[in-house]
Amino acid sequence: MKPRAIYKLAVVLTKSQLRGYQRSRLTSRIFGDPKIVLALDIALIAGLGALSHVVVSTILPDTVQRSVREIEVEALAGIPAALTFAVILFGVVAEISQSIQSMSTDLVNWLPISPIEYVSGSILSLSYTYSFMLSFFLGLALGPAILFGMVAVWLGAGFMAILSLLIGACVIEMLRAITNRITSSFYRKSGRSGIFARLLITIVVLVFIQLLFSGRIIVFLLQSVIQTAKAAWFVPAVWPSLAVLSVSQGSIAGLLLFGSLSIVFLLVLFGLAVNFRDRFWVPVPISVKLTAQAYRPLARHNLSPIMDTAELAIFRKDLRSLTRRREMARYLAIPFVVMASLGISLVPLSGSSLPEGPGFFATIPLYLIPIATICGIISMTSIGQEGYAVWQLYTAPLNARQLLKPKLLVTMLIGIGFTVGLAVVLGLFLKIVVDHFLVLFILGMAVVLEESALGLYFGARFPDFRETIRSRYVTIWGSLIGMLLGIVLTILTASPVLLSILVRPSATSQSAVIAFAIGLIVFSTSWKLAQRQAKRLLENIRI
Amino acid sequence: MIRALNGVSLSVNEGEVLGLLGPNGSGKSTLMKIVVGILKPDRGDVEVFGTSVAKNPQTVKRMVGFVPESPRLYEFLTGIEYLDFVADVHDLDPAAKHERITEFLRALDLEGRESELIHGYSQGMKQKLAIIAALLHRPKILVLDEPLNALDPRSARIVKDLIHKLRDDGIPTVFSTHVLEIADAICDRIVIMYEGKVLEEGTSEQLKSKAGSQGSTLEDVFLKLTGTSDVREIVEALSR
Repeated sequence: MKPRAIYKLAVVLTKSQLRGYQRSRLTSRIFGDPKIVLALDIALIAGLGALSHVVVSTILPDTVQRSVREIEVEALAGIPAALTFAVILFGVVAEISQSIQSMSTDLVNWLPISPIEYVSGSILSLSYTYSFMLSFFLGLALGPAILFGMVAVWLGAGFMAILSLLIGACVIEMLRAITNRITSSFYRKSGRSGIFARLLITIVVLVFIQLLFSGRIIVFLLQSVIQTAKAAWFVPAVWPSLAVLSVSQGSIAGLLLFGSLSIVFLLVLFGLAVNFRDRFWVPVPISVKLTAQAYRPLARHNLSPIMDTAELAIFRKDLRSLTRRREMARYLAIPFVVMASLGISLVPLSGSSLPEGPGFFATIPLYLIPIATICGIISMTSIGQEGYAVWQLYTAPLNARQLLKPKLLVTMLIGIGFTVGLAVVLGLFLKIVVDHFLVLFILGMAVVLEESALGLYFGARFPDFRETIRSRYVTIWGSLIGMLLGIVLTILTASPVLLSILVRPSATSQSAVIAFAIGLIVFSTSWKLAQRQAKRLLENIRI
Repeated sequence: MIRALNGVSLSVNEGEVLGLLGPNGSGKSTLMKIVVGILKPDRGDVEVFGTSVAKNPQTVKRMVGFVPESPRLYEFLTGIEYLDFVADVHDLDPAAKHERITEFLRALDLEGRESELIHGYSQGMKQKLAIIAALLHRPKILVLDEPLNALDPRSARIVKDLIHKLRDDGIPTVFSTHVLEIADAICDRIVIMYEGKVLEEGTSEQLKSKAGSQGSTLEDVFLKLTGTSDVREIVEALSR
C-alpha cells in the first residue's frame, strides 16, 4: 500500500467531486482545492462555535439556556449517528443523479492502483467532500460545550464523528461497487423491465429521502433515535453515539467498549468495500437487450395536426431519455416528491385529526407554485439534457419549431399529469368544493401552458450541454432568472382569481376565464420568443 | 483573438474525394462544421450544390451526411431505435427506412446487436452506427471527420469501398484523417491545412513532387509543409 498514491488519488477524486458541482471560475478555484476546503471547515467550526457561544450565553433567556444545557449531551451524542445517516443519504442521491458516462473509472483502472489503495483514496475523498456537515454540527455544538464545561464530551463527539463519516463513506463505496456490477447483470437479464424497475426504485428512493428531510419527520425521527439509542445498543450504526454518551457519563468501560466496537465496525466495512472493489474492479459496459423481436418500423402516423414525423421522433426520444437515463429520473421524481411532501404536511403523523385546511386563497399558491416549478424545470432542462449528443439535432434538417414542439409536449404531458394528481391530493386532504376544484384546474392548465413555453425560452437561451458529475442542463443564471420570472408570471396569471376571492367571491369562476386568457397570452409570447431563440441556437453548435 | 480558419477557399467536385490533412487544431473540424451548417462563419459562405449554407441551412442539411470526430450518440437508445430516430428526423418512408437500416446493419456486422442499448456498444460499434446514420437518407455529399477511427479492419475496408462506390455514383466526399496512408489510398485530392489556412492542395502525386526529393512520401510532404519535420530530435529526447 502506497500512502502517497492514496493521498494523490483522494485529492484527484475530491477535486473531481467538487469541481463537478462548481462552475464559476472563482468558486471552482475555492472549492476545487482540498486545502482551502480544509481551512474553510476549520473556520466553520470556529465561527459557528463562537456564534453559538455568544447566542447561548448572551442572547437566550435563562430558561432556554437551561434547556440547551439539558439537550447538549444528547445533541453531541447524536452527531455521529446523524453524520453516518446524512453521508449515506447524500451519497445515494449523488449516485442516483450521476450519468453513466460520468462514472467511468477507466482512467483509474489503467493506473497501477490496488483495490485497497483505491478504496482508501475514495473513502478519504468522500469523507472530505462531506466534511462540511461534520464542521457544521460540531461548530454548532462547540459554543454550548465550552459554556457548560463539556469540552471533553465535544472532543469525544468530534473523534466519533470522524469515525462515523468514514463509516458512511465505506457504505457508499460498497454501494458503488455493487451498483457497478450487480445491477448491470440484473439489467442484462431483465432488459426493459429492469430499466423500468430502476426508474421506479430511483423515484421511490428520492421520494423517501425527501420525506426524511421534511421538518416534521426529522423531529419525529430525532426524538425516536435519541430515546431509543441506548435500547438499540446492538445496532452498529449507534455505537459511536453510545461511546460519546459514555464520555458524558464518565464511563471509561463504556467508552472503551463502544469506541473499540466502532473502530472494528469501520474496519469490517472497509474490508468489505475493498473486497467488493476487488471483485467488481473492472466495470463492464452494460449490454442490455431491450427486445428480441425483429425490427419493424412504425407505419406513418396520423398525428400530423399535432406532430410531424421528425417531431414525433424527438418526442419519443425525449420520453425515453426521461425514463431510461438515471440522471433524468430525478426530474420525473419531482412531481411525486412534491405530492408526497404536501400530503405528509397536510396529514398529522399521529393520525388523530386532520389539520384545519387553508382557505381557498391560500390553496391557490399551494397548488400553482409546484406546477410552475415542475413545468419550468422540465422544459428549461429539455434542451441542455441533449448533452454532447446534441450535434445530431444540429445536423438534422430541423427548424426551431420542430425542435421545440416535442419538448413542449413532453413537458405538458408531465405537467398535466401532475396538475391532475396534485388537484386530487389537495381535493382529498382539503375537501375542496367542486366549483373551486374546477377553478384550480383551469388555473393549473394555464400555468402548465405558460411555464412550459417560458422554460423552453430559457432552456434555449441559456443551455448547458456539458456532461459532468451532476449536469445542470441550464446555466445557473438562466435557471435563476427563469424560475423567478416563472413565479412572477404565475402570480400574475392567478391574480384575477385571487382578487376576486378578496373582492367579489361570487365572480371567481368568471375570473378563472380571465386568468386562463392571461396564461394564453404569456404562452403565446414565450413560445414566439423561444422559437426565435432556438433559431439562433441552431446556427452555432455550442459543444 | 485566434482565428480557427483564415481565408480558406475550397471546392469539391462531383464524384471526388477531398482529403483534409493537418495537425490537431489546424481547423479541419471547424471547416467541416461550417460546411454542414452547424457553425456560422464570421465571414464568407459555403455553397452545397449551389445552395447557400448560411441562407438555407435546412436544405443543405437534407443533402449532407455527416460523421463528426468521436461522435456522441444517444446512449439510452438501442441501435435500432437510434437509426429509426435519425431516419424519422430525415422523414424517410417507412419501407425505405426498413430496407436501408437492415441492409447497413448487415453490411457493418451490427445485425443481432441492434436491440441493445448503445451504452453497451464498443467505440467501433458506435462509429459504425454514426456512419450508418450519416448514409441513411442517401446524402448528396458526405462530410466525414476521421470516419475510420476505432473501426476494425473489415469495417474500415467496407467504409473505404463504400466511399469509392459513392464517388463512382457521383457523390463527393470531404474526408479528414490523420493517417496519411489512408488519405493516399482514398482521396483524389488532398488539402493540407495548418493554423486555419490552406498550405497546399493537389493530388497525392502533385504534392509528393513538391517535396523536392525523389521517392518522397505524403508524410514527408506533410512534415515539410507543417514545419514539424524535427521529429527525429523529439524521438531521441523521448527515448533518453
